[in-house]
Amino acid sequence: MSKWYQDTEAGHDVFTASRVRLVRNLEHYPFPVRLSEADGRELVEKLETGLKDIGAADGREFERIPVGSMDQEAREALKERRVINGAAVSKEGPESLLLSADERVSITLDGEDHIRLQCICGGAGLNELWSEADRLDDYINERFDYAFHEKYGYLTAYPTNVGTGLRAAVTLHLPMLSVGKQFGKLVNEMSRFGVAVRGLYGEGSENYGALYELSNQKTLGMTEEEILSLVQQMAERLAVSERKIKSLTLRNHRLDMEDEVCKSYGVLKYARRLSVKEAMTYLSQVRMGVTEGLLKLSEPVNLYGLMMEIQPANMKLLASEDEKSDIRQARAAYIRKRLPELA
Amino acid sequence: MLCEKCKIREANIRYTEVVGGVRTEHNLCSHCAREMDFGHYAAVFDTDYPIGRLLSDLFGLDAEQGESEEAGLEQVVCPTCHTAYSDFVKDSRFGCPDCYRVFDLLMSENIKKIQGSDTHKGKRPRFGHDEGREASGKSEKEKLAASIGLLDSKLKEALAEEEYEQAAAYRDQIRELKERLKENE
Ligand SMILES: [Zn+2]
Ligand SMILES: [Zn+2]
Repeated sequence: MSKWYQDTEAGHDVFTASRVRLVRNLEHYPFPVRLSEADGRELVEKLETGLKDIGAADGREFERIPVGSMDQEAREALKERRVINGAAVSKEGPESLLLSADERVSITLDGEDHIRLQCICGGAGLNELWSEADRLDDYINERFDYAFHEKYGYLTAYPTNVGTGLRAAVTLHLPMLSVGKQFGKLVNEMSRFGVAVRGLYGEGSENYGALYELSNQKTLGMTEEEILSLVQQMAERLAVSERKIKSLTLRNHRLDMEDEVCKSYGVLKYARRLSVKEAMTYLSQVRMGVTEGLLKLSEPVNLYGLMMEIQPANMKLLASEDEKSDIRQARAAYIRKRLPELA
Repeated sequence: MLCEKCKIREANIRYTEVVGGVRTEHNLCSHCAREMDFGHYAAVFDTDYPIGRLLSDLFGLDAEQGESEEAGLEQVVCPTCHTAYSDFVKDSRFGCPDCYRVFDLLMSENIKKIQGSDTHKGKRPRFGHDEGREASGKSEKEKLAASIGLLDSKLKEALAEEEYEQAAAYRDQIRELKERLKENE
């Protein structure tokens, strides 16, 4: 079964991916941070046993991954592919993951909270993801009683998740908007509307690949539908601005844009060594070239998927033994192989 | 280092804000941090990352405040998971579902500040949740007593600061809790 990020990206432009995350905790158990190693293990086993048939109920296969006993790099790779979050990478003690074969659904057990349920897909699709998560949530709840408070709703380890426990997020590709001088200000202003925007990949203060994730800040006092529609609306606003700048640039500076996009393609197709930063920068340009019709590839390729695969930890997993000594060389070779010829 | 906002008090809170891939470090005094518009702060409430100590100050006590009162609040401990209020302040993290009941009155205002609301709307568990069921009926009394103790010190604090409106609110809450305590006996 192919992964969600290997499916076609046709029709996606600014909306690169969508994600819905629910946090849930069981009654009568302290949150993971207050659980002893033994109790944590018992809880994980109990959850795993109770949810062992989730694949049959959901109609796809699930794999059980013992994150707690994996090394940092393997965990880091899961994080790069957006399966687990940063906290789950560094957490000590028992921690487990139920992951659907397409990696669209991931259920982290005993991470920051007892249960972190996430559904992710390419392009737009918050509403579908929410119905999927809602259904899976009910499936889990049929087997386990949740910690729920009349006033505060679903109880979570952090007060920033309490209430619905819902984070709805859209990954936006903003290669034009993000280079504008006003971008920082625009991002800051988004918080006035109750959403946050953060860079997805990069190092220090640098963003690689112009991918940004927009999500709701508040989880309490709004219904799930209200949260979803807020995030959707705000994401659309940014997408509209991005498209507007793109079409203006295309109209007035088409050759400049074409030149930049084609040079980027050329580098990716012929370079012998690529750092993450270089690869992300050129892949971002190529992705824009493809969505704007400036570049025609002979066959479809999921460029966002490729961006995840060439991240440091995943690249190491994909590289052969001989290649591991020079990962930048491996990255260039991998991209050359994966990037289709021009049509 | 002096607080970047008032440039008067010593900065004792540092937080890193990442906006659009740009990381900025801010140094504020506890006073100014509390005054800050949460919308602006919110960029750090990054989707999935633990906010760790970021909220400490907001949940905590004023650093300038007398130590005796602080000690009083720190003593409040969740009977179920033994998280002390001071732990909660330090990590901005609860230890167990019962912490919400134990620390409710202490932190409800702050939850409102972060979340813009203190009341859940939306989905409720569709299975198994027995309304009003208590994990341990015995400790309900303890919890009420603990909450009253806390409120009492909050009340004194408010009176000392001449925040009479706030004090009246605490007084009403204490009265309500005492009634519940009576019902519980
Ligand atoms: Zn200040
Ligand atoms: Zn507790």
